[in-house]
This record gives sequence, C-alpha cells and structure tokens, in this order.
Amino acid sequence: MPPVIDLKKCKGCGTCDLHCPLDVILFDQQTKTPIVRYPDECWHCGSCRLDCPADAVSIQFGPEMLYV
Amino acid sequence: MAQNLDQFGVVLDTDVLVVGGGLAGNNAAIGAAEKGARVLIADKSSINRCGAIAGGVDHFMAYLGTDTWDSREAYLEWVGRIARGAVNVSVQNAVFCRELDAAIERMDRIGCTLKQPDGKYYRTSSFGLPGPYMINFNGKHLKPLLAKEARRLGCKVVEKCSISGLLTSDGQVIGAVGFNIRNGTFYVIKAKTTILATGNTNRIFENPTNMPFNTWQCPANTGAAQTMAFEAGAQLANMEIVRITLVPRGFSAAGLNALTGMGGKIVNAAGEEFMPRYHPMGSKAPRSKLVQSVMQEISEGRGPVYVDCRHLSDKDMTHLYTTLGYDKDTLPDFIEQKGVNLRKDRLEIMTSEGMQGGPSEVCSSGIMIDEETKSSLPGLFGAGDCADQMRCTHVCTTGGYLSGKMAAEYSGQLKDLPISVAQVREMKEKVFAPLSGSGRLTQRKFEDTMRKMLWMYAGPARNAHSLDVALDKLEQLGKRYSDIAAQNYHELMRVGESYQIMQVAKMMCHASLERKETRFYVYHNRTDYPETKPEYDGQIVVQKTDGGIKTFFKKLDYSTMPEK
Repeated sequence: MPPVIDLKKCKGCGTCDLHCPLDVILFDQQTKTPIVRYPDECWHCGSCRLDCPADAVSIQFGPEMLYV
Repeated sequence: MAQNLDQFGVVLDTDVLVVGGGLAGNNAAIGAAEKGARVLIADKSSINRCGAIAGGVDHFMAYLGTDTWDSREAYLEWVGRIARGAVNVSVQNAVFCRELDAAIERMDRIGCTLKQPDGKYYRTSSFGLPGPYMINFNGKHLKPLLAKEARRLGCKVVEKCSISGLLTSDGQVIGAVGFNIRNGTFYVIKAKTTILATGNTNRIFENPTNMPFNTWQCPANTGAAQTMAFEAGAQLANMEIVRITLVPRGFSAAGLNALTGMGGKIVNAAGEEFMPRYHPMGSKAPRSKLVQSVMQEISEGRGPVYVDCRHLSDKDMTHLYTTLGYDKDTLPDFIEQKGVNLRKDRLEIMTSEGMQGGPSEVCSSGIMIDEETKSSLPGLFGAGDCADQMRCTHVCTTGGYLSGKMAAEYSGQLKDLPISVAQVREMKEKVFAPLSGSGRLTQRKFEDTMRKMLWMYAGPARNAHSLDVALDKLEQLGKRYSDIAAQNYHELMRVGESYQIMQVAKMMCHASLERKETRFYVYHNRTDYPETKPEYDGQIVVQKTDGGIKTFFKKLDYSTMPEK
C-alpha cells in the first residue's frame, strides 16, 4: 500500500497532496497532516517521495504485487 | 454575456487553453507563451507532476547525424515501416523532424539535458530500431522543470480542475468547461484556441493484477480528449489499436526497455533466449512482436518468462542500476522488495494490461492532426498521446511545442464567437448528474465489468462477431451508467473517467470493425482476417454522426520522402 508517510518526519507542507497525479493524498488543513485517502488509486509513480522536502515518504509494495 | 455565464461559476478568458499539463501540454504552453499568447493550462492534478512522465522518464529518441542510420531520412523510413497503416510520415516530419534541434536546445536550456555528466550522449537500441536512437538521460525532474518554465513565461495554471467538455459555436471550438475535483467549483473557460493534451486511454482492459490503477501509463489518462473531441465532432484515427507491453510481473511499470536496451535477454523457464525463434532482431524486436511471442511462450507452457541481465559487464550493470529509476522512480524499490538482485537473479516479466494507444513508439490514437497539429475542427488542436501522430517523450516534446506555436498563431485569426448559455447549462448538468445518481451501481463495479468484457471480446484477439457483442454489451452497460453515484467531487471525476473509457471503447470497436485485416501482430488481431493487407496502408477515421458513429478508411502515402 504505497506510499507510507512518516508523520514524525512530515513538516506539514502539503506538497504530496499538490503533486500527486492521482489525487490519492489529501492534506488535512485542520490537523496539517497528509492522509493517504485513496490507496487503491495509487500509480506508484513516486512523485510524493521525489518532492517531499522532509524525506518522509517511503514506497512499500504489497504482497498482491510482489508475489502474484 | 459574461454576466450570464457568471451564474454557472468562475468565468476565465484566454488566447490559448491547454487541457492537460503533462509533457506535451507543458511544451505546448511554452510554445504558445513564447509566441506572446495569453496561455491557461488546466489539469486535474498538478502540472509539476502529472501525466505519463510524472515521476520521470529515461529515454528520448533522436537521430544525431553521426551515420547513415542516424539521419532524418533513415528515421522517417523506419517510422513509415514500423507504423505503416497508422503513421502519417508527412505529419511526423512536421511534428518531430523540423522541431528536433529546437527541442534538444530547449531541454538543455531548462536544465534537463539529454547528455550524461561527461557531456556525451548515451545511446541504446530496442524495439525494432535500426540503430541506437534511444538517448538515455536523467529525466526524473523533467516535469517540474517544464512547469517552472511555463510559469516563468507567464502561463496561468488552474490545477485540480477536470475539464469535461468543449464549448462550440458554428462548428468552431471556443473553449471548455470543467470543475474543481475538491470543492466542485465550475469553470467556464473562453479560449480563442484549445489544445487537448490528455494522453492515451488506460483502465480500459482487464488488469492482470486486478488493480486497475496498476497501469503502464498514467491511470488518470482515460480518454478525456478523445471523448471531448469526438463529441464536438472532430475526426479521430488509430482508435482500433490495443497496446500491450512487457512489464515486471506484478508491477505494470515502465523501465523494462532500460534492461533490454542494455542487452538483457528475454528467456523462458528453460533459460532459452526464445525471441530469435520469432523474429530476426531477437530481444530487440518491435514491441508488438515481443508481446505476442511472450504470450505464446506462456500459453504453450514454456513460462514463466524472465529478463536475464546476469551476463552484463560490471560497467553496464553499474549504469543500469544508476539509471533504473529514471523511467519509473519506484522500480528499484519493487525489484529490491521482491528480493531480486539483477547481478544474480533473473527478473520475471509478464504482458501488461491492454491500453488504447498507438501501435509504435512514434504515433498514437486519437485526434487526427495535420502538419500544423490542427484537428478537423477550427480552434481545436491535438498534442501528445491523445493526438494520432504523437507518442513517446521525443514526439510529445517536439510536437507539443509545435501545437503551442500553431495555436498561438491561429488564435489571432479565428472568429470571436459568443458562448451559448444553453450549452453551458447543459454541460454543467451533465457533468454533475452523478452527484444525484441512484447508487445502485458502484463506479468500480461498472468499470471492472467493462474492462473484463472488453478484454474478452475486443482485446488482443477479436473478430466481427465478438466486436458486435462488445458493442451490444457496452450499449446495455451504458444504460446503467446513470445508476452510479458520486459522493464527492473526487468520485465525480472518477465517474466521468468511466464515461470517457466507455466512449473510447465504442470508438475502438467501430474502428476495428472497419479494419478488416490484422496489423501490428496482437495490436490489431482480427482472427477472422489474419492477413495484413496492403489496401489497408492507411488510417481508419472515426467521427460522430447524428445517431452514432461513422468510420471510413483514409489511404496514406508511403512512397515519397517529405521535404526537410
């Protein structure tokens, strides 16, 4: 279920929300945290990780892709 | 008039509207802005990262004049051969060859050079190329660099905006409407000229991993341009093609050409490099032939199939590992998490999901464009994968830029026609209708059904009867479209995408019925007409009629070399 966002590292800038091509990530303005809202719609393109200034995003593939 | 339109939402006015801020769209915006036009780019995500090369790209095809194979003439000869029956060589000359030098210079200028750190080009060969046309480069940040340049030139950007339809008057395209995918704000955009650049159509065929967004090209690309252009009355071509490629098993990722380009061998369970049995170019055969051969090896029980890179030299392996993530940023993670070390292990591959796109690396499916990237409708231009004569990084870069220049030039020449309030009202009602759908059917179930059905009846093996069945089932399923309900504007976007996929599927089936032959191996495999026929050396054109869809054949000339 990529991406996985480490909220301890996250600086709350919202770039992952802005740059996600699939609108998978929603930056919650109230809590200032990103939520992976539509994980099934992830394209695994890595844009969120590439542009995260806090290195808070990692990509973890699920068994449904690794072992199919 | 503006006041009348204000009742619907936000009204914007521009010279050139670019729909889709991907590789072609950004280049188009840059081309138009450099000509002095007011430019507005609308995209349903962000122009920094969207479209097929969102997370990067690693190859750009070009001839550089070092040898006879490395010339415009040799390139166009190859283009006319590999995509014969879909490619218009004269248009290719205009959208690629004439723009190539400027594109290479532009990429240098914006900070995304095609050269290696040592100042040289690293060139590889794959997919039936007559020589190493593929320039390997680090394009991980090509998209944000292009976006930065477009903004620097003053282009306005409306993001998270899904464009849903074209505004027309007297047969001329005069703008578009759309909505914000978070808050539902409705946009009415008046434009002197409009460039559609929304890519190919994905999520159209059954996905081998049952994950519809696990696609080779961007799953946000669902045929928006093809659908909107069709509904406005434009001519489309190459719509019958089913594109399939080879991907790592489980992950429909681009980047496999990096492995085969470096000399990776495609082998079966017995370790046999089987491609020479199917094609004289072996593992470097055209993509359509590779796909067909892998399908056959597996169906005849000689799978699984792998890419074997273990024989590569240390130097080549180091280059491969350095550049592997350039095309698909997360591919190295996938390989590592699978526990595969390319120095010691083979990487299992599979055939990808089918997609609607062109038959080769040079031309695609969609809006039929001429040498100036004009569609058959005044005011409407096509760029990138949604246009019939652009595909891959190289042509989307060169041709996208040309479409921007042309749209800017024509923006001063077309009639200034008023927007019809009735048309805007009708389009707004149509796009927001799923917000009050009955909810008896989910968008996922609708799409899953369509994908499974299309793969069965209109996939890599089709005949007249199966295509008729597909059209009938599309008709029946289409009657249930209004049962889908969207709970929010994100879901509304997805439901609209399902509609686009359905419209593209109809065009695909009709076009395929018109092409009574097999061409490009599995990309247009008519089992009832297994031969490739010279009389079909041309395109199937699709166009809307009052009651439905008409198709006709248009012959193309492959006997003359276009002028430089």
